[in-house]
Amino acid sequence: MIKFLKSIKALLEGMFTVFKHLFKKSVTLQYPEELPNLPERFRGGHTLKGCIGCGICQQVCPCNAITIKKSGGKVTSYTINMRKCMFCGNCQYYCPVGAIKLGTDFELATDSNKELLNELIETNESEADKE
Amino acid sequence: MSRMKLNLGPQHPSTHGVLRLILDVDGEKILGCEQVIGYLHRGMEKMAEGMTYLQYLPTVDRIDYLSGFFNSYAYVTAVEKLLKLTIPERASIIRVLLMELNRIASHLLWLGTYLLDLGAVSPFFYTFRERELILNYFEKISGQRMMYNYFVFGGVRHDIEYVNEIMPIVKTIVEKLDDYEKLLTDNPIFISRTKNTGVLDREEALAYSITGPNLRASNSHLDFRSQSEIYKKFEFKIAKAEAGDCFARYKVRLEEIRESSKIIYQAVDILLSSGGEYNTGLNPVNLNIEAGEAFADVETPRGLTTCCIKSDGSGTPYRVKWRTGSFYAVQILPKLLTGNMISDIMAIYGSLDVMLPEVDR
Ligand code: SF4
Ligand code: SF4
Repeated sequence: MIKFLKSIKALLEGMFTVFKHLFKKSVTLQYPEELPNLPERFRGGHTLKGCIGCGICQQVCPCNAITIKKSGGKVTSYTINMRKCMFCGNCQYYCPVGAIKLGTDFELATDSNKELLNELIETNESEADKE
Repeated sequence: MSRMKLNLGPQHPSTHGVLRLILDVDGEKILGCEQVIGYLHRGMEKMAEGMTYLQYLPTVDRIDYLSGFFNSYAYVTAVEKLLKLTIPERASIIRVLLMELNRIASHLLWLGTYLLDLGAVSPFFYTFRERELILNYFEKISGQRMMYNYFVFGGVRHDIEYVNEIMPIVKTIVEKLDDYEKLLTDNPIFISRTKNTGVLDREEALAYSITGPNLRASNSHLDFRSQSEIYKKFEFKIAKAEAGDCFARYKVRLEEIRESSKIIYQAVDILLSSGGEYNTGLNPVNLNIEAGEAFADVETPRGLTTCCIKSDGSGTPYRVKWRTGSFYAVQILPKLLTGNMISDIMAIYGSLDVMLPEVDR
């Protein structure tokens, strides 16, 4: 009998604990309307600025996702294959001049296969080429 | 004749991964069981042979994605032994701090999903809410929630930041633990489903090489943290239970969260009061590793994980071998399941905290 009453008490206590949560503030995020507050170090889509074409990022990338083409000592094309990249951040951590950075852009889904080959050609240099 | 073979999985929501069990049942009673593993095999060991030491580093987090820091730690320590590198004091304390936070996160996830398997839905949301606090912290310091790539050869990647935020997080979690206990420890439904189910005695557990909380729930003291160099500075008790059933395993894990929080408090105190180097400043891009073998072990939330590396002097490892705790926990399933009912499968299997990616690697 005592055991029975005890278990009833435990059940009621459990229900009360759950019930209390009804009145608490919700902790979830309504995603497309509210965007998450991402930290500075978040590893998302890449940006490139001031690459010297040393090739170290290619060497440390575990997925062989980076392709660099050079002509006459200048970087002419720098492509990251987003199908392969696992956002480990090695390219960023070991780049000697801090050229490649992983940003906070996380909405990388796309419906075309081609767009996943992320062309990150130097903005400065390609402009210089046009002139 | 109601005897038949029943296939459970591989796509079963309660196996947390893909495990297939071929059950030999007579009505509701289980007469035998055969486990089929390998559905999550990614070739983590073979992969290392085609990669440099540095390239392999981010991938080891994926061996057990719920406790990435532990895998990194085992791998990084083994490579440091090959390099004959001693890491700074501060780096090893940061490592302990992060690993213990990771242990709490992992145990919280286990608690939530285990109760979900048993049919209780609300605790799942509570534990995930608390786990999120830890994961957000990890995201802040390392850049990602589960794949950290934070430990490097010779220390850690960045000096630890936001140390002040750790104490409130851990305090909330320990307070919330009492809430969970209120929900569960005296709950007659939970007790009747877990007490005296899946009893594993000490000799059997040792014979099957079970480690971690599963072994400590069976009246054993074996915790590799107490033999480890980096845990020497910290005071903590080893959580232990005697019964060896599912309820004992639940008790041990809750107790471990409390003990981990004590280690974290001590580590935070040390980190706040002292400075120093967090990294030896080694440039790992062109590592020159001599031929030899190294071995490192760590007590993860799921038992003993060891990493053994053989190097032949070229830039890539000759062979990397991993031993993970869950692999052995799967081996004991036929023993525990035989004689029980079908409804007990998930109560027993869930209580072992098996992580399938870790089993198949
Ligand atoms: S991004 Fe950095 S590491 Fe990669 S080629 Fe350019 S300068 Fe070198
Ligand atoms: S983040 Fe990692 S996988 Fe992606 S390109 Fe950089 S090094 Fe390669």
